[in-house]
Amino acid sequence: MTMQEDHKDCFVLEGKMALPNQNFAGRLGSRFLIAIRDRKKIMGLKCNPCGKTFVPPREYCEKCWTKIADNWVELGTEGELVNFTVVRYGDRHLPKKPPYILGQIRLDGADTPLVHIVEGIDPRDVESGIRVKAVFAEKTTNTIMDIDHFEPV
Amino acid sequence: MTEYFGTTVADIFATMPKRFKPEEAKEVDIAIGYEATGEGGGKWKATIKHGTLKVETVEGELTGCKTTIHTDAETFVGVTLGKIAALDALSSQKLRVAGDPKFLMLLLPKIFTPYAAPAKKPDAVTARDIIATIAERFRPEKAEGVAMTIGYDLAGEGGGKWTIVIREGKCAVREGLADPLTVKMTMEAKTYAGMMVGTIEAVTAFTSGQVKIEGDMAAAGATAKYFLKYVVPGATEAEELISLRVINSIEQRFATGPVMGRWFAGIREKKFLANRCPKCGRTQIPPREICAWCRVRVHEFVEVGPKGVVTHFDIVYFASPDPLTGAVRDTPYATAYVVFDGATEREAITLDLKQEDIPRLKEGARVRPVWAEVTTGSYRDLIGVELDEEEGSI
Repeated sequence: MTMQEDHKDCFVLEGKMALPNQNFAGRLGSRFLIAIRDRKKIMGLKCNPCGKTFVPPREYCEKCWTKIADNWVELGTEGELVNFTVVRYGDRHLPKKPPYILGQIRLDGADTPLVHIVEGIDPRDVESGIRVKAVFAEKTTNTIMDIDHFEPV
Repeated sequence: MTEYFGTTVADIFATMPKRFKPEEAKEVDIAIGYEATGEGGGKWKATIKHGTLKVETVEGELTGCKTTIHTDAETFVGVTLGKIAALDALSSQKLRVAGDPKFLMLLLPKIFTPYAAPAKKPDAVTARDIIATIAERFRPEKAEGVAMTIGYDLAGEGGGKWTIVIREGKCAVREGLADPLTVKMTMEAKTYAGMMVGTIEAVTAFTSGQVKIEGDMAAAGATAKYFLKYVVPGATEAEELISLRVINSIEQRFATGPVMGRWFAGIREKKFLANRCPKCGRTQIPPREICAWCRVRVHEFVEVGPKGVVTHFDIVYFASPDPLTGAVRDTPYATAYVVFDGATEREAITLDLKQEDIPRLKEGARVRPVWAEVTTGSYRDLIGVELDEEEGSI
């Protein structure tokens, strides 16, 4: 049996669902970002017993659980590119147009790498071990993008 | 030592050497005498000569001063802190200057850094300190047309009895309790101070019986909005915390299908199109393809309403916040179950009732639809219903 249906009143309603989000940087994250934003300095947290310096900041040492939240140390704005990947796909949420290099940068004075974008070098030429330096953003946004990118020294 | 505005006259003189700027005072050669009367007052002499400063307390007569300042201790502290305008104090004769007042007003800010009240721990703030700041924290723009007298009976250290009078956009604080009072609040001075600095929650203090309220409860609750929040003097500013607000949006498309499409087509013409089951004769609102009872296809559309009867209703006084925005809609609001004229009994549709009509809402009330100014065939076209009182059926 075939069905006859009248489609003359069918229509589509366009809708939009808004999802408000609030992302809190945390107390340590806020201090870390404010140092970048206002003083153009990258701060880390050092565990004195282990001698290990963490960046981005964390409240407790991952090895000995010492609370290190107040033991801020200033790191260099230069460091070594210890690892990287090349982002080759584009999407609206991504910060740059592909292809771009996402690197792990171990800053001078730090023991853990900071992930950020590396520019000023062709993705085909990049290799681990090169020295890079931070380029701070002119327009700040209270995010890690207040460091605009890293580039070869 | 008696405190005014959270500090003492003696502290102002004690901090003078620290606040002195010798390089600005190289050319200055002057002796200034101070007489502050009342509790916590006294006499002081400040000698400034070629970049040096000597401050001494004086017993007996102030001698050898080029200029002397005479005032009461409270005004002196108030003017020093900038809580009282120096010109007002001068013109009201509360502060008198023997010598050249204009010269002093220009000189003092140049050779001294401004005095700031010493930082206090929140628990060191007394009810008296807080009451003293009430007049300056008053917000006339919020208290337009408000006339009330609020009595505070605060027991214990730093407490006392005060009456706060709000009238014609002005606020005055008086010692003692006036009669009559709009509302009287009785509690420990400590409790009051705790509530004001935020270490004690007002609701908890009230429900646990620490605060006794006599008189107009609503007035007691409303007082907070007539005043700026009390800030502990010298409190360090809260550290900056970064929090980003982002609104992500998801695009959506809803297809009506032929049956709901017909309903919305009717709505656009301000008509309610139900469909009638060929088997049981029931009208379905909104219409659906299949009769939910008989499980047969429904083809016939009939117009019902537009007026109807409220079969029952809910009045909501405490609205849940919108989970997406946190916004809470205006309360009270009523959702009425309306059976349109011509619709089958019990086939009610839930609609918002106009807020002004809520007090007169009864079961069996006649209602008529309220339409949006422009109807486009959307669920927003039908705003709700309002009482149809012309028919005299209420």
